[in-house]
Amino acid sequence: MRKSVNRPPTPDVMENQGKEPTLQELINIELIDSGEKERLMELLRERLIECGWKDEMKALCRAFIKKKGRNNVTVDDLVHVITPKGRASIPDSIKAELLQRIRAFLVSTAL
Amino acid sequence: MSLPNEDDMSSSSDTQITSHIFGDLLDSIIVDVASECHRIAKLGLDRNFEEDEEELRLSAQARVRVADPSNSGEANSKYVVDIFGQTHPSVANEVFECMNCGRAIMAGRFAPHLEKCMGKGRKARAKVTRSSTAAQTRQSRGNPASTYSTYSNSNSTSRLSNGTSGVAGEEYSNGALEEP
Repeated sequence: MRKSVNRPPTPDVMENQGKEPTLQELINIELIDSGEKERLMELLRERLIECGWKDEMKALCRAFIKKKGRNNVTVDDLVHVITPKGRASIPDSIKAELLQRIRAFLVSTAL
Repeated sequence: MSLPNEDDMSSSSDTQITSHIFGDLLDSIIVDVASECHRIAKLGLDRNFEEDEEELRLSAQARVRVADPSNSGEANSKYVVDIFGQTHPSVANEVFECMNCGRAIMAGRFAPHLEKCMGKGRKARAKVTRSSTAAQTRQSRGNPASTYSTYSNSNSTSRLSNGTSGVAGEEYSNGALEEP
């Protein structure tokens, strides 16, 4: 049966032992640990629903599904359908707000 | 200057990191939306999914039905199905005995039969005056008012044959009486 989700293989533990965590990774860990990542996600989700972005994406999905047939669609397909349009159609105000919050977080963690 | 300006580097890398984080968030949300749509599609939960095609199909069906001459609706069709799925013949076919002439009459033809039988119409009246009146008079204990019974409806007639003629008499004053 075709898998609905293409999951990248779990990285081998041995591979990572020699590397130092990058700044990016450190920040990511800090984001998650402090719960800020969750809050940012919720904020972004809420804003995108308010402005109708989510509905647009759902409409794109439905159109694609109708065309391709309900049983031939994978989550991956839908992700590839939505991603370009999705990234491009984020309202500037929402993007600015989120970037502002992220930057504030970086400053507050004094990295 | 060969040495890169540290401030610039950190701010640009900050910006880079910020954008990267934003990109991450967005990707996660996109995957969520895609997964939700995928689920709805697979489970068939989207009630409006086939709306347009359904509408087209229904309107095509309706058009075929209208164009088809054999399905001309209840007026002509003999066997109509009601909401319980029962069919009724267009003419009621229970047979019973006419209380006036004693003949076996079909229920659906009872009213026209009574018209002739009781003498409501012009033709029947003349015929009835002689033959039925005699029968009525015999049944109603000789009440002279019973002559008019031929012009009244069947209800009062049956009452006449069974009940008091006094009541019948009163009724005639209200009914449509016609002098012979």
